[in-house]
Amino acid sequence: MARIVSAILGVLALVAGLPALAQDTVKIGYAISRTGPFAAGAQISQEPNYILWAEQVNARGGLSVQGKKRKVELIGFDDRSEVETAVRTYEKLMGSDKVDLILPPWGTGMNFAVMPLMQKYGYPMLAPTATGRKLLGMKNPYFFALLQQPDSMMIALAEFMKARRVETAAVIHVDELFGIEQMAALETALKEKGIRIVEKKSYPIGVKDLQPVLNDIKSKNPDAFISLSYPPDTFLVTGQAREVGFNPKLFYAAVGSAFPVYRDKMGPAAEGVMGLGSWNPKMSKEAKAYFDAHVARWKKEPDRWASAHAWAGLQILEQAVEKVGLDRKKLRDAIAGGEFTTVLGKVRFKNGENVATPGVVSQWQSGEFEIVWPPDRATGPAMFPKPSFR
Amino acid sequence: MTFWIELLVGGLITGGIYAVVAMGLNLQYGLMRVMNISHGEFLMVGAYLTWLAHTVLGMSPLVSLPFVMLALFALGLAVYWVCFRRIARTAPSAEVVEARSLLVGFGLMFLVQNAAYLMWGADLRGYSYLAEPLQVGGMRFSANRLVVFAFAITASVALLALLRWTLVGKAVRAMMQSPTGAQLLGIDTRVLHPAVFGLGLAFAGAAGALLSMVYEISPSMGEPYTVTALIVITLGGLGSAAGCLVGGLLLGLIEAFGMHFTSPSLKMLLSYGVLILVLLARPKGLFSR
Amino acid sequence: MRYFLYSIPVLAVMPWLLQDFYLSLLLTCLMYAGLAVSWSMFCGATNYLSLATAAFFGIGAYVTARGFETLGYFPAVLFGGIAAGVFAALVGAAVLHLRGAYFAVITFGLGELVRHAITYYEKTWMHTVGRIITEAPESATVYFTVLALTLAAVGAAILVRDSRLGLALRGIGQDEGRAQTLGVNTRAAKIAAFALSAFFAGALGAAMAVRWTYIDPPTVFNPFIGFQTVLIAMVGGAHTIVGPLVSSAVFSVLTEFLRLQFPYAFLIVLGTLLIVLVLYLPGGFASLFQRRKPDAP
Repeated sequence: MARIVSAILGVLALVAGLPALAQDTVKIGYAISRTGPFAAGAQISQEPNYILWAEQVNARGGLSVQGKKRKVELIGFDDRSEVETAVRTYEKLMGSDKVDLILPPWGTGMNFAVMPLMQKYGYPMLAPTATGRKLLGMKNPYFFALLQQPDSMMIALAEFMKARRVETAAVIHVDELFGIEQMAALETALKEKGIRIVEKKSYPIGVKDLQPVLNDIKSKNPDAFISLSYPPDTFLVTGQAREVGFNPKLFYAAVGSAFPVYRDKMGPAAEGVMGLGSWNPKMSKEAKAYFDAHVARWKKEPDRWASAHAWAGLQILEQAVEKVGLDRKKLRDAIAGGEFTTVLGKVRFKNGENVATPGVVSQWQSGEFEIVWPPDRATGPAMFPKPSFR
Repeated sequence: MTFWIELLVGGLITGGIYAVVAMGLNLQYGLMRVMNISHGEFLMVGAYLTWLAHTVLGMSPLVSLPFVMLALFALGLAVYWVCFRRIARTAPSAEVVEARSLLVGFGLMFLVQNAAYLMWGADLRGYSYLAEPLQVGGMRFSANRLVVFAFAITASVALLALLRWTLVGKAVRAMMQSPTGAQLLGIDTRVLHPAVFGLGLAFAGAAGALLSMVYEISPSMGEPYTVTALIVITLGGLGSAAGCLVGGLLLGLIEAFGMHFTSPSLKMLLSYGVLILVLLARPKGLFSR
Repeated sequence: MRYFLYSIPVLAVMPWLLQDFYLSLLLTCLMYAGLAVSWSMFCGATNYLSLATAAFFGIGAYVTARGFETLGYFPAVLFGGIAAGVFAALVGAAVLHLRGAYFAVITFGLGELVRHAITYYEKTWMHTVGRIITEAPESATVYFTVLALTLAAVGAAILVRDSRLGLALRGIGQDEGRAQTLGVNTRAAKIAAFALSAFFAGALGAAMAVRWTYIDPPTVFNPFIGFQTVLIAMVGGAHTIVGPLVSSAVFSVLTEFLRLQFPYAFLIVLGTLLIVLVLYLPGGFASLFQRRKPDAP
């Protein structure tokens, strides 16, 4: 027994004695899912951007801290898609290692879990993959949500539908916080625009077959079909709508439709599908530069939704540090009160919500996820009605 | 009427997919009591190999299917040699084999999944193949689902025939009933065990290859499939090839009709509810001997 | 067992000595120790393979989610344990006649069943899933609660082992039919032990859930928590008490060490170590201590 105790103590000592870090670097810590069920989302939209950004900053000579250049050192750990592990890792980063800055974990649940720590240790966090009114309802002064909230996205969709004289819609949603919040926002928005919901169904996460539901909906013949789904179901629902020959004038699928792999997997069936997107490389010169750098570094395209938000968060952090340095209280105030120029255009926060980036509707057209609504942000005209599945 | 037939056939096709997923594990557990919890991970390897062959070499998944099976068979022999041989040799009873192989399975799960992350990254991957809908007498089904279904039926029937009428099948069945007795009769378990284990992995690989045509893939895709496989084989009765097919089809039908008559939200409740009811009525599955 | 008694005062002062991170690591350690010991209490003796730990843990956590605001922390922990225990007793009465893989799969299925039932209930009648915990208790409070539960689990395991119930359970593990003929009410014994072990898993779930701020079914019914518990208990040697304790300490610390040192490949290392361990130390960590006491159970 004593042998084992001493062995454990030895290992603990090793854990404690992590390599001492050079003093003049800016240490930026984060935990993110590299393994487990969250890994796909985290590795598509988030961590590649952290690494790319750190490399770019260091190639420019370092992060400018009130005019003085200091190299960035990223300290990233795997949270194994486990909430408890993520909490523990941030306790280490903030409490023990006392890193200079932190970057957020992936996903709404993880961001929720880290919130009390942010407040306790006073680390501002710009979250690109957390959405929901409940998050903002926490009123955590250190938390900043970069994504458009459900209501702004769903209002944009409803406006587009109204403009195209869509009268009826069928909706399915996933039984998760995300699906339920989006659904509530959509119902309000459609009601306001006088669009009737003829069928409303929900399904649990992990479903492998939705054909019976799609057949039922097809028989109701709605103008629009809206699927407030997560990636596996977004793929499933598209494939099976094509299978049963369900061709509404508008086909909208939420999370995952902005992934390049959606286009690759769906092939010609992706054409004309609308979804939850936010940007594309045609939007601006900055967007194109970001897109090209991402492709050059990772040999893969960034997704057209959260990736640019992750990038914008890093840009905001960079600009705020340049202005006020690494004093985290000042940094928080600078982020809360400032306006920043990012890959998404201007970004400004009000009560932790990004209020400058409008809700948009995007649509796959010949290999690009074009923004088709609102008109002042559109990169191309909408293809409406959607061509039948090929 | 067409609507009902479509619902029925749709359920059967999904059920066929479940049966394919379960087939390999059924062999390993049913015949050797090796509880290979990393089954889904090897399915994932099969899916990635097929995806690689398709995107890099431009090979049709149906052409690469036998190669994937062969590769996984070889991998299975190696895994058996390194991990399970010792367990089979040293464990005093079948229960111990089960427990230890479960732990080794966890180890393999970590190992294989992480290796896949390192090799291919955590992104979702996928390609479009045979996704066009086919019109069959007023009903429409995508071609790739029909292929999976056809494979499920063919492989199950072939396996049944193999077990029932060939000498190897007799040896395997003897081994199931009494390992020592089989050895006394001159059946060489040192050959049969690795072969059956390898065959299990080959079927896992085939399932992965087929599923990669239908669903998108990622290194963490395995676990839900392992769970599906476990449910299907317990529903059907461990080790029974017919049970595996019927269990899978039954699950698919329950889901399809359940979703139509109730709500898709209740789908999981229905499947698990049926599993529990079946096991309450028949504690060793539908096709228990 | 002397070491066990010595360790109590040491563990009790840790919140004043350790930084948050190390306290959390210790907390994880204790949580798995409690889960693994309570799992072995039933499964180790009877040779049942239960995958229901995730279900019990999740039920407890959900009691916290629903009841934290109205009940307060400690009653929520208690009720979480009771809810899991009652659930286990009801379910146990129905499924404890199954054996082997059938039992394993059905207990796993139960976890999923409860998870989906809660999701459906919440969505249909509460129009949301998940709960937010604001005003979570101090981390020291959580630590002491988990410590107390784990110690209680160990105490209960010792009591059960030395009691008639323990004898009955071991009898069932060796040969259930014979135990029955010898006059053991095997059904009652199994249900009692299953419910007791569920109580601790549920209470631990209820105690831990406040750390995550947002509690929804997928987070708390994480099957991985159940798998990891089984893994730790079996690698330790599930028929003993000290085995799972040692194993949970080794596993938590080792996993954390590997995770921090090899942020990309730690699961490969962990997987390999696990396989080697099972192959070359088939009796688990417990066999390291038993050499000196060959007559220990």
